[in-house]
Formats: sequence, C-alpha cells, structure tokens
Amino acid sequence: MGTSTAPMTVDDVVRLRRKKHRLQFGFYLVLATLVLWSIQATIIEDTDWDRIGSLAEIGKSVSHFIGIDFKLIPSLLGPTIETFMIACIGTLLGLVICIPAIWFGALNVTPYKPVTYPVARIAMTLSRSIHEIVWALIFVSAVGLGAFAGILAIAARSLGFIAKMSAEAIENIDTKPVEAIRAMGGSNLQVMIYGILPQVLPVILGIVIFEWEINIRRSAILGLVGAGGLGLVFFRQMNTFNYPGVTTVILAIFGLILIGEVVSHYSRKAMI
Amino acid sequence: MAILEVIDLRARYSSRGPEILKGISFEVEEDDFFAIIGPSGAGKSTLIRCINRLIEPTSGTIQLHGTDMLGLNTKELRLMRRHIGMIFQEFNLINRMSVMDNVLSGRLGYVGAIRSIFRNFTNRDIQRALELLERVGLQDHVDKRADELSGGQRQRVGIARALMQEPNLLLLDEPTSALDPKISREVMTLIRTIATELKVPVLCNIHDVQLAKEFCNKIIGLQDGNKMFDGPTENLGQDQLDEIYAMEVL
Amino acid sequence: MSDKPQNTVLVGDDVHRQWSRFKYPQTLINYGILLSVLLFFSYSVHYLNIPLDRILGMFGRLGDVLANRYYPPDMEYIADKGYLNAIIETVQMAYLGALFGLMISIILGWFAAYNVSPSKTYIYPIARIFTMGCRSVHEMIWAILFVTILGFGLLPGVLALTMFSIGFAGKLIAEEIESIDMGEVEAIRAMGGNHLQIFVYGVFPQVRVAFTGIAIYTWDVAFRAATVVGFVGAGGMGWYLKRNVMQIETQRTAAILVSIVILVVISEFISAWARDRMSKAK
Repeated sequence: MGTSTAPMTVDDVVRLRRKKHRLQFGFYLVLATLVLWSIQATIIEDTDWDRIGSLAEIGKSVSHFIGIDFKLIPSLLGPTIETFMIACIGTLLGLVICIPAIWFGALNVTPYKPVTYPVARIAMTLSRSIHEIVWALIFVSAVGLGAFAGILAIAARSLGFIAKMSAEAIENIDTKPVEAIRAMGGSNLQVMIYGILPQVLPVILGIVIFEWEINIRRSAILGLVGAGGLGLVFFRQMNTFNYPGVTTVILAIFGLILIGEVVSHYSRKAMI
Repeated sequence: MAILEVIDLRARYSSRGPEILKGISFEVEEDDFFAIIGPSGAGKSTLIRCINRLIEPTSGTIQLHGTDMLGLNTKELRLMRRHIGMIFQEFNLINRMSVMDNVLSGRLGYVGAIRSIFRNFTNRDIQRALELLERVGLQDHVDKRADELSGGQRQRVGIARALMQEPNLLLLDEPTSALDPKISREVMTLIRTIATELKVPVLCNIHDVQLAKEFCNKIIGLQDGNKMFDGPTENLGQDQLDEIYAMEVL
Repeated sequence: MSDKPQNTVLVGDDVHRQWSRFKYPQTLINYGILLSVLLFFSYSVHYLNIPLDRILGMFGRLGDVLANRYYPPDMEYIADKGYLNAIIETVQMAYLGALFGLMISIILGWFAAYNVSPSKTYIYPIARIFTMGCRSVHEMIWAILFVTILGFGLLPGVLALTMFSIGFAGKLIAEEIESIDMGEVEAIRAMGGNHLQIFVYGVFPQVRVAFTGIAIYTWDVAFRAATVVGFVGAGGMGWYLKRNVMQIETQRTAAILVSIVILVVISEFISAWARDRMSKAK
C-alpha cells in the first residue's frame, strides 16, 4: 500500500497511456527497421534479379517440376522402406540412449544433483540445437556412409526432445504412490518401477511416437550427406536434372509421412 | 506391554523453520486403537510420518517392539517399514495398475529387485491377496484398474495393500477425510474389525472427533505441536476438546 | 528385527482361489503386437546391413575421430569478418522467413480452422492440405527447390524458411483458433459482420497473446533451420559448413559446429526470456 492508493489524476492517466504508447511505438519501430534492413540485405542487395529473370521465366523453371516419372517408381520401393526403417530404428535407439538422460535430467530422481543434472541438461541442449544434417555429417565421418550413420544421427537428434519432455513428465508426477511405496519398505528401484514408471510410461510413449513422426521427415533428407534412404534418390534426380523424378520422390515422401501420421494417430489413441 | 513408545519427539521441516512437533511422548499398547486428534496444522500428519521416518525427526526416541527406529540405517529401516502398514488420506494407490497389482505391491518389501521388475509374486502372496480382497469386499473388482473404482473402494484397496505387508502396526493418516460420512463409518468399522481379528495395534490420525470417540479407545490431542490431552476416550470431555481446538475458535 | 508370528488366515477357509495375470484374448494380443514389433526391428537391422558386431568399436572410433581430427576447433577461422557476416545473414534470413511465414500463417490458420473458416467445403480442405504440405516437406528440400528455381543466394533461403515457418506455425495457429470461445464470434455474426470482420473483431483478439508466443517460438525454430539451409546454397553459415566438410577441413568444421551450438543456445535463451516476459505482461 502507500502511494499507489492515492487517486490518479486525469493527467497521470494520460501520461501513463502516452508512455505505454511511446514504448509500443518504439518496439514496432525497431521491428520495422529490422525488417527493412533484412529485406535490403537479403532480397535487394544479395539477389541477382537479372539472372532470375522475369516472372515468366520463373514460371518456366517451376513447370519443369510438373509431371511424374513413372519409370522411377519401381526403384523407389527399396529406398522408401529404408527411410522408414531408419526412422524407426533411429527413434528406438534414441529412446534407449535417452533413458539415462531422462533419469539424470529429472530433478526429483537424479542420483547426484550437482553433477548428473547439469550433464543431462547439457546433453539435451546439444542434441536439440544441432541440426540433423550436422549430426549426420559427424556420424558419416565416424562410421562411414550408409544407413547406420543415418540411424545414429536420428537417435542423437531425438534424444533432446524425448529426454526433455519425459524428464518434465517425471518432475510432474503425483508423489502419493511414491510415498506409499517408501512407507511399505520399497527400495529406490521399486519406487521407480511401481511409483513412477506406471505414471509416466504412457506419456513417454506418446512423446516417442510424436518424435517418430518427425523422424520420418528427417530420415528422408539424410541422403544429402550420404546417409541412405529416399534422400539419396532425391539428390540423384536433382543432379541429373530429372525434375519430374524429383516430384515423384517428394510424393513418395508425402505418402510415407501420411502413413506415419495415421499410425501415430491410432496408436496414441489406443494407449490412453 | 507397550508396542510403540515415543519419547520427547521433536521435528521441523528445515533447520531454520518452525518446530512442528515440540516434544511429544506417548505409548501404544497391544490392543490399542489409538487416535491423534487436533486442529489442522497441529502436526498430526508429521507425527504419524515420523513413526516410520517418512519425515526425519530432529530428536527424541521411537521404540517399536523394542527396536530404536531412529538408530536404523537405510537397509534396516526398509526391513522395519515392511512390518508397518500405512493407509493414506488420498489412498496413494498406483492409479494405472490393476487392483490386484496394487494389493500385491504391498509385498514389495519382501520381494527382490528382479522379481519386482517382472511382477513375479509367489503363489502364497497371490492367494493371500485374493483372500484379502474378498475380505474387504472387492472380489469382483480384482482386474479393474485402480482409477476405475469409487473413493470407498479405493480405500479398501489401500487397506488390503497394508494388510498384505503382514503388519504389526497400522498407521492411518486421515483415512476417511476424502470419503463421505456413511462410507467413512464403513471403512473405519472394517479397519477396526480386521485389526481386532489380527491383533494389530492401530495409530490413527483423524480430524473428525466424533469418529475418534466412536472407534478409538485412546486419544491424544495435539495443538500447535504440543500434546494437550492423553488418555482413554472416556476421559475426553468438552473441556478438553475446547482446549485442544482453542486456536481454531480464534 | 521383530519376527512376531504372523496371522496368515483371515477368512479361515481353505479354498484355493484362481487368478492369473494371463487374460485369454487380451494378453495374447498384447504379446503378439510386441512380438511383431520386435520382429520388424530385427528384420530392419538385417535389411539395413547394420554391422552389430562392430558397433561398440565404432563408438571408440567416433571418440578417436573427434579427439584427433576435430580437436582443437580452429577458432580464428570463425572470428573472420566474412564468417561473422554470414552469421548476420543467417539471422536476417531467419527473421524474414519467420516474419513472412507468420503473416501467411495467420491467414492460412484462419482458413484452416474449422470453426471460423469462410468456406468449410472448399477453403478449409485446401488450407489444411497446403499447411500439411509445408510441414511434410523438410526445410532442406524446400531450400533445394528454391535454389534450383532462383539460383544461389539469400532469397531462396528466405523463401525456404517461409515455407518451413508456414508449416510450423500454420497448424499451431489453426489449433489455437479452433479452441476459441465461439460466443464472441456469434455476437459479431449476429450483428451482420462479414467473414473478415468476424476474424478481425471476433477471432484475432482472442488469439493475440497465444499468437505472440507462437511467433517467438517460430523465430527460434526458424533460426535453427537457417543455420543449415546454406548447405545446399541458400546462404548463411551453412555454406561455410558445406565448403569445409567437402574440403575435409575438420578443425574448421568443428569451429563452425561450436559456433552454431552457441548461437542456437543464445537464441533459445532469448526466446525463453521473451515468452516469459510476455506471459507476465499478458
């Protein structure tokens, strides 16, 4: 209490409103300046409009992509399956390597807070901030070209999201069953298996399925750095300027993602 | 003969926080149905959790069957706890597990790590669990999930789980305050019958004085961490109650 | 320890009660599903030729590679003026891409929200399919397509990030709009407002706060994507990454990776701070 209870005069109100408006105006001014500066740098200065040419020419290059390369379809089956499998095993491996990260990264179960908690948090941030392409590059240089590098990349990239969300789920559990199991003489392991796991398992599975859906998208491009799957076919079509083939590959990716969405929808429903 | 002997028990949540229990002493004997009453915030819940050391007391002595509870290490404490059944205000069941698994989980103190991972309980345990479920009237709900049951039914699961431990002391933490009056009486009657049958002493903290008078033979009254009354139920008159609940009137 | 003789009998009869964890159809189905999933995984391992016996050795080798070839990162390289310029370009690209994407997403979100969409039979499914399409195509593929059409540079990067942001924000905004209170919309409809008026006066005020949150989040995600779109020639830091990877300049690559991680962490902090500020200001 104190000064704030003193009645505000009309002048005060007006002054406050002006101040708020000035602040808002300043904020939008900064935003707009940033937009103009960015547009100037990227679209005006950096772009060679002559080379891009007229709208008609752009239309012409877009029209190259229209059409489907039917001859390519039979040879797409293998890579499509491969992409799908890379996503599946990558997600599974991600979940496996997640388990210690989840355990260390949840404040209420972490074994030794000053060390294990920050370690897990750093691992999560690293995993999420490095793009899957970069992960794939690292693993290709370590284990060589092929699906295995892709799987490792997917796993490494999934760790952060799965572990972060799952650790949050563990931090938010209902502690009442935990208390009951402690009271009846349960060990720490039993507390984890009976008190915590039944509560968070459905949540974690939901998170994993969600991430799996995203991983299908990711595994489709890992071929860019030599990690196998549809991506490799995509870049081969691109390099041979077979644009209808490119469209065909993109449609195959669409189909795969559609399957993923349907499966994820139904399995998440079945779990509740 | 005193089963449980508590002498000058003190507790506080943090080293600089206020003292919750300010030197409580009492004795529970073999046939006792012992009630702790008092206004909310008096320390009832803390007191009952100090007995099995879910909350660590700062000083005092707790003797259970001649064992000094506060001198036990972690392993010994676990072995001791498996003989202390506890029934909770909000049942504290594992909601996503079946009724049967909840009751069987009462044996966890006796089961090794590997067996508990695979929920592999002995045939004797399963027989006893079914027997107990029948005893508390839930034989038709054995395979339901715990969160499908009503409040009264859940507390019966809680009772069966506590009895699974083959306890030699039952701690009840407000077992009825999440239930309506009619169900409360049923649950208390059930607990008293079974406790008498098995000759298990009960230490019960309860805010409903009427229920305490009806079911318990001894009562201690707490107020703000101090013991205000200690004696057989017959001695608890209106004067004593006024004293115990004095704070609440203010 | 106390070993008082225990009371085992309660009911007192000697009836043997039947109970089994195995429930006839359900348990069998569960095990069947589990088994087929496991089979699928093991078949995948076989199909993808994963050398299980060499996996452990591979992790040793990974450590080796990181320690000998990537360490120490060449920090001088990334303190170079050209690289710092590329960082600024990356930020600009992400900023513009997210901005354009968000502007389009508002309209698309409006069209793709079932409850307020101007036409449930035509516009709604088209808007839905368009957002889903943007989501399904990975940002790298967008970048490649735009580079093919427009040539190297920042413009294709901005456009790729725009598509990416539409996919990311479009769905979130549509979901947000679908959960609004329809009473206010009804009121404006009752006054005779047209679809645009309904959106501007009935819908937008309700989602404004949530929208700001989505906008900040989109910027954060777009920045992450912006760090690598250059890999296919769409400008920014990614181009440096590509060049050094191709030339096997491992220590420079390591330095670039370090810089990417640092920048992403910074952007995450800013985004978290901004969202926190916003939820307090409301």
